Amino acid sequence: MMKQGGKKKRIVVRIEIATLSDDDEKLNKKKMDQLAMILSNLQNSGKQLILVSSGAIALGAEKLKLNQQPSSFIDKQAAAAVGQVELIKNYKRYFDEYNQIVAQVLLTSDTIDSNIRIKNTRNTFDTLLDMNIIPIVNENDAVSTADIELNDNYPLALNVAKIVNADIILIKLDANGKFLLVPKGEKKAVAVDDEYELFEKINDICQNINQEKLAESDYPESINEIEY
Amino acid sequence: MDYRENLKYKKRIVVKIGTSTLSYPSGRLNFQLVEKLAFVLSEIRKKGIHVVLVTSGAIGVGAGRLGLTTKPGKLAKKQALAAIGQAELIKIYQKYFEENNQIVAQVLLTKDIVTINKRHSNAKNTLEKLLSMDIIPIINENDTISTNEIVFGDNDTLSAYVAVLIKADLLIMLSDIDGLYSADPKTKSSARIIYIVHKITPRLEKIATNTGTIFSTGGMSTKIAAAKIGGKANIDTVITNGSDPTIIFKILNGENLGTLILADANNANKN
Repeated sequence: MMKQGGKKKRIVVRIEIATLSDDDEKLNKKKMDQLAMILSNLQNSGKQLILVSSGAIALGAEKLKLNQQPSSFIDKQAAAAVGQVELIKNYKRYFDEYNQIVAQVLLTSDTIDSNIRIKNTRNTFDTLLDMNIIPIVNENDAVSTADIELNDNYPLALNVAKIVNADIILIKLDANGKFLLVPKGEKKAVAVDDEYELFEKINDICQNINQEKLAESDYPESINEIEY
Repeated sequence: MDYRENLKYKKRIVVKIGTSTLSYPSGRLNFQLVEKLAFVLSEIRKKGIHVVLVTSGAIGVGAGRLGLTTKPGKLAKKQALAAIGQAELIKIYQKYFEENNQIVAQVLLTKDIVTINKRHSNAKNTLEKLLSMDIIPIINENDTISTNEIVFGDNDTLSAYVAVLIKADLLIMLSDIDGLYSADPKTKSSARIIYIVHKITPRLEKIATNTGTIFSTGGMSTKIAAAKIGGKANIDTVITNGSDPTIIFKILNGENLGTLILADANNANKN
């Protein structure tokens, strides 16, 4: 098979579990199935994908039949250890339906602080991506609390994008088909309303990536900095 | 003093199972064994004993998922297989524990829990919390991000540090042989199992390096080293054959099975 245009484009997908849930915070399996289909399809089309997903705490609380979301750090950490099992199990189930193999990668926020850890983590991601596997990343909440403290997994997605030198950060915006595409080095992000538009725009962006510009540019440091 | 009788009163145990016990020689998982192990540990938990499971097997399961028949050589490949396999492995454990109405949690650790204070207290607090909620934590090394500087290297060592971290009173290491032998049972017919070890002597350590299993990372010497780490923290260790996990019931019932290595303080009491 011919390789097209060199390196495959890399997309880091940031998911907040609320965008896959109903109003009562229960996981909506249909929405997870839909997401697995879209991402498996993007992978089949020749893109490399990494999924950064929250949801361990929420699913843990559901599993433990807690009446409300846990509030203290320690309750959240315990719920996360229970819920990560549920989270990865659910993702596996739906990705399996599309013959897509996934892997679980749990990172701590200091991964980005040490060069040897960055290199090591990058090697793992590179190997998984070369094998057409979609890594599913979350914070290792049992030993780390950075995400819990921020209550936001964009910083984790950002770190992963930096580690793998992603071309695009893809953000699921709501429980419907609304996504935000954040191309590396672009000031403005692109909002899309449905999955067909999503594929079109991703292809547009990938064809127009300016490699020179990429080398000196980066991604928005926080979710609030993104304009669209 | 009957040291075996004492095992009836253990309140917090760490059970460690290795790849060679969990899988067939082909590297594929033995589901019946996992099912039995989940049953046994759930039963013990229902008796009010706190249980932590330290499991290997992610790399083998990952290789199986991809249909690989040879063991990976390169570190990055191993780490990638561990990331695939851990997702499979925890799903399978969850399934079998769920059948016993037992909730489990996944905790992936690196050696940071020994060297960094904040990691140490975070891991300890999380595990304490989980145990107080009657959950069985399932622990493995976070192979995906472990580099040489932060690696436990083998789960025997990891299980000992976990036992120390949660102040367990017993560490049970499930192996593919019946215990520590006086010589290599494969070559010497006079080799006998050592049922009790009062003190880990240099002579004993030498015996351990010459026996054990050739397939696993650990073998006997890492188990003895693990028992030494546990012993300093007043934790007894039993090394036993895990091919039938119901042996754990018998051990906790005081039966003379496997090798019991007494904790340092326990040994001092003898005087």
